[in-house]
Amino acid sequence: MNGVTELKGLQPSKSYRPSVMSRLKRDRWLYILLLPGLLYFLIFKYVPMWGVLLAFKNYQPYSGFIKSAWVGIDHFRLFFSNPEFYMLLRNTLLLSFYNLLFFFPAPIILALLLNEVRIMLFKRAVQTMIYVPHFISMVIVASMTYLFLTTNGGPVNELLFSYTGNKIEFLASPDWFRPIIILQTIWKECGWGTIIFLAALASVDVEQYEAAIMDGANRWRQMWHITLPSIRSTIIILLILRLGNVLENGFEQIYLLLNPLNRSVAEVFDTYVYFMGITQGAFSYSTAVGLFKSVVGVIFVVGANYLAKRFGQSGLY
Amino acid sequence: MAKTYRTVPGTVFDVSNYIFLTLFALAAVVPFIFIISGSFATDAEITKRAVFLIPKTFTLAAYEFIFSTSTVSKSIGVSIYITVVGTVINLFFTITMAYALARRSLMGRNVVLNMVIFTMLFSGGMIPTYLVIRELHLLDTYWALMLPGAISAFNLIIIKNFFQELPPGLEEAAKIDGCSEIGLLWRIALPLSMPVIATFTLFYAVGHWNDFFASLLYINDPTKWPLQVLLRQIVLLSQAAAGDLSMMDPDFVKPPDQSIKMAVIVVGTVPILCVYPFLQKHFAKGVLLGSVKG
Amino acid sequence: MHQSRKRMKRLTALLLTFVMSAAMLAACSGSGSSGGNSGNTNKNTEPPAASTNAPAETEKPLDPLKINIMLPIFKTNYPKDDSPVAAELEKLTNTDIHFEWVPNASYTDKFNITLASGKLPTIIYVPDVKSPSFVNAAKDGAFWEIGPYLKDYKNLSGANEVILNNSSVDGKNYGIYRGRNLARNGIYFRQDWLDQVGLPVPETIDDFYNMLKAFKEQDPDQNGKPDTYGMVLVKWTGQWASGFDVMKLWFGAPNKWGVKDGSLVPEFQTEEYMEALRFMKKLYDEKLINQDFAIMDSGIWTDPIVNNQAGVIVDVVDGAARVDDRIHAALAAEGKDQPDVHYMNVTGGVKGADGQLRVLPTSGFAGMLAIPKSAVKTEEELKRVLTFIDQLSEPELQTLLNFGIEGTHYTLEDDYIVRNTDTVLIESEVEGLNQMLTFIPQDMAKTVKQTPLRIKQTELMLENIQYIVGNPAEPFISQVYTEKGAQLDNIINDARIKFIVGQTDEAGFKAAVDLWLKSGGTDLVNEMNQLYAATK
Repeated sequence: MNGVTELKGLQPSKSYRPSVMSRLKRDRWLYILLLPGLLYFLIFKYVPMWGVLLAFKNYQPYSGFIKSAWVGIDHFRLFFSNPEFYMLLRNTLLLSFYNLLFFFPAPIILALLLNEVRIMLFKRAVQTMIYVPHFISMVIVASMTYLFLTTNGGPVNELLFSYTGNKIEFLASPDWFRPIIILQTIWKECGWGTIIFLAALASVDVEQYEAAIMDGANRWRQMWHITLPSIRSTIIILLILRLGNVLENGFEQIYLLLNPLNRSVAEVFDTYVYFMGITQGAFSYSTAVGLFKSVVGVIFVVGANYLAKRFGQSGLY
Repeated sequence: MAKTYRTVPGTVFDVSNYIFLTLFALAAVVPFIFIISGSFATDAEITKRAVFLIPKTFTLAAYEFIFSTSTVSKSIGVSIYITVVGTVINLFFTITMAYALARRSLMGRNVVLNMVIFTMLFSGGMIPTYLVIRELHLLDTYWALMLPGAISAFNLIIIKNFFQELPPGLEEAAKIDGCSEIGLLWRIALPLSMPVIATFTLFYAVGHWNDFFASLLYINDPTKWPLQVLLRQIVLLSQAAAGDLSMMDPDFVKPPDQSIKMAVIVVGTVPILCVYPFLQKHFAKGVLLGSVKG
Repeated sequence: MHQSRKRMKRLTALLLTFVMSAAMLAACSGSGSSGGNSGNTNKNTEPPAASTNAPAETEKPLDPLKINIMLPIFKTNYPKDDSPVAAELEKLTNTDIHFEWVPNASYTDKFNITLASGKLPTIIYVPDVKSPSFVNAAKDGAFWEIGPYLKDYKNLSGANEVILNNSSVDGKNYGIYRGRNLARNGIYFRQDWLDQVGLPVPETIDDFYNMLKAFKEQDPDQNGKPDTYGMVLVKWTGQWASGFDVMKLWFGAPNKWGVKDGSLVPEFQTEEYMEALRFMKKLYDEKLINQDFAIMDSGIWTDPIVNNQAGVIVDVVDGAARVDDRIHAALAAEGKDQPDVHYMNVTGGVKGADGQLRVLPTSGFAGMLAIPKSAVKTEEELKRVLTFIDQLSEPELQTLLNFGIEGTHYTLEDDYIVRNTDTVLIESEVEGLNQMLTFIPQDMAKTVKQTPLRIKQTELMLENIQYIVGNPAEPFISQVYTEKGAQLDNIINDARIKFIVGQTDEAGFKAAVDLWLKSGGTDLVNEMNQLYAATK
């Protein structure tokens, strides 16, 4: 659809393909541009990569890497044989899934709605306001959630009580835990999440709208045929990348809301590793769990990318 | 936007849209207003009333306290320095690499892309990275806060994708006119991608401003602490974070007043909120404006 | 595309090369220890005004001992190396000190990183002596074993045996503990409410119950509304005693581990523990404690007392004075304060059915000061460092580090400290320096003028040392606990909270105990008993 077509695809025989040397020469400036970033990745990402091997050792900071004992897959064995493993997996996946289902579309919808606003002052004001929650630290958000929802004088329950004579233990109930997390995330990150979509929307060719109007398209059709497709590739990329983090849950948010009464739904891999770390000394074990999460993430990313390509989208590459 | 081309204002959709957006914006901003109000009140009032819009006991005591020593002011300076210089570094590294990788015909492109994506999923961890910083003698310098995060792979990929979607015709046309690669990048690709660049400038800047963990690890000299380190100290201290309560022998360490906590939050958030309006004009540019047909 | 397979191979080869070379690079830098500081090592002579140590052979004064000390900081301001207090300290101890302040919220991470980097300071504060990274480092020889040296020092020789035991690793002491009050826990309550309902200070569990009931039912704040309850209980964090852990001792339950027929038994397998649990449940059911205790934000848990909603907290007794101050401040804001009245009162606890008072102790220390071998290379230097730490326990140094310099940071009135109201000055020159005090053998600094409440608190804490019930397993480091401790604790913690709020019954609790046993609890009990038997 767009982008430069591969030369290789058009050439019928090898003799027309430019040689390696000539390609290097032709693109030499590109390689120069590539160099700083490449160096960055090598030095700061790949050199420390040996840390991944900590998952197979019993790493103690003082002893260092070499002297720490190899334990092979012991950490993994401990991890998978944990009787709560399935509960953790279920909680982690469900929370991630709900997040994808409810939170992921929210900034998109909000961006589209904002896009329809014609009074610039209003639009700018709203935009600035909805970014604010992103900057408020999670610790404060948790305090606010508590103040808001507590049965001990919190406004929501007071209202409920005056209308129905009952109070709901939002914070202590397993049933409310996931909705509260999702609502918190939406409140906190939805506004911020619109930025990237609004940027994409800003790149849409104005002429397309003009042509559509002339063809008699109303606003819904315009949105469906022009606006949405223009951000489609952004949405897909974000979705694929999000799937790479399928087992990530935002540790701090959950940790702050976690308590013995909702633990059955609230405890996820991240909090589990944290509590293990307190008794365990963290490194090796959390590296092992992190490795597990990464491997699962790779599977999802590759799978999602493949699917995207199958449906004719651009994917990661 | 194509504002003059839409149907007559005042439809049901528009009205509900405006109402909904107003409500959402208010829900987003009101808690922060409570925090601002709290920062101008006395601790006693906060204990009594928890949340309020207008403080009955208006006082600047919290702010006076915060700025009474140079610690906080200096840390704001540090944060600003790191944010500005750090973001420039980010943009340099990210844009050059993204542009290069956007060229599908580049040999070795996919290998590099795989490498990049790999780092999004696998990472060495805190201690190995720390050791690298140490070997490079960057400990206790600002570079340690700006280099390790120079490129976010996520940002890189998205910017690359945006570059990829620029019409190829542009590139050919410019080359015919004798433009170099770098010239292409600087004079054509960048201006056309301003909304995206502005977006990621904002993302990187906010990332620097909000970061505290890197400083905790790499910076030993307290005069080099950015604002967020101090902010977190105060907020966590008054939350009596689990386990740390044992460290807080009451007569040794008195938790700060709630109002001070709120004032610190305000001080830590307002500066970065001011950045957005400056970048706003770049977000709205209608870009291609018919530069290439077909 | 078959190209992708070739690319995969190339990519793998690339990656492998990088990982290998990175590993080599890292191996070289991994555990190298580049020395922390270079102290002066002279023979035997003392710095002036020090305690008796080795015999002085020459009278030549030593160069100041260079010390790097890593300590947590709790505020945003901190004393700089050249603060007048630090200067005074250096003068008195003949040292040249550089402070490495670390924000306390990240101290553990910083500690671990420092261990990994090999660049340790002269003295390093160790927050958790049971943490595997410290234990391992200690066993690896990272720190001097200072136990045998303590007897040579005037103050340090007065270290408490029990606390030394509690802070040991494998029976050896790898650092000097920072002493804290042992018998800190008790009850603090609104005395004015007690007077209002006409009850005396509770002595027995029944008295305690009646007090809570009266607080709930008899409108002690006299506002005509039934909006009060008895006690505030908070989200259990485990470490520092939460209300229930204090109260269970009143019923005769053991402190974490009890001894039955010569072997260790987990506390929740005792009948007394169950009795305590039932009592808590009763309090909850009758709404005598805050119904949202399981989730209440610990940052605001004293608010209900200040706001006239509750009257009692079971926690460290020195919290009473703090709450009292807050009540005064709140009332003063309304113009209704009575400065000479104490609204709060304290007691160490209530007696159980057998007439015995039992108090939950703390471990007696808050972390340790350890001396790394990489920074302090010779025994001579070690002794000088120990001399320094010993000196810090002298009364005038304790006063100096706690309060600052007389005239600048405080004035003396009748030998009591009156602090300068410029908190900023104090924070940037003094506050935080007391983190290096060990208070061994005890706190002998001058004190702030003691209000009757504060005096009572201090007396209470001293008096109650005789009533503490220790945890016999405190010094043990268990392998099973390291692997599964968090999980095991969760099982019991969750069960007891669920029991209290009524989500499960006694059978359910017993089932949880069985689950605990099955999930590794049995192994833990066995291991603990082995360790216990070894000490007898």
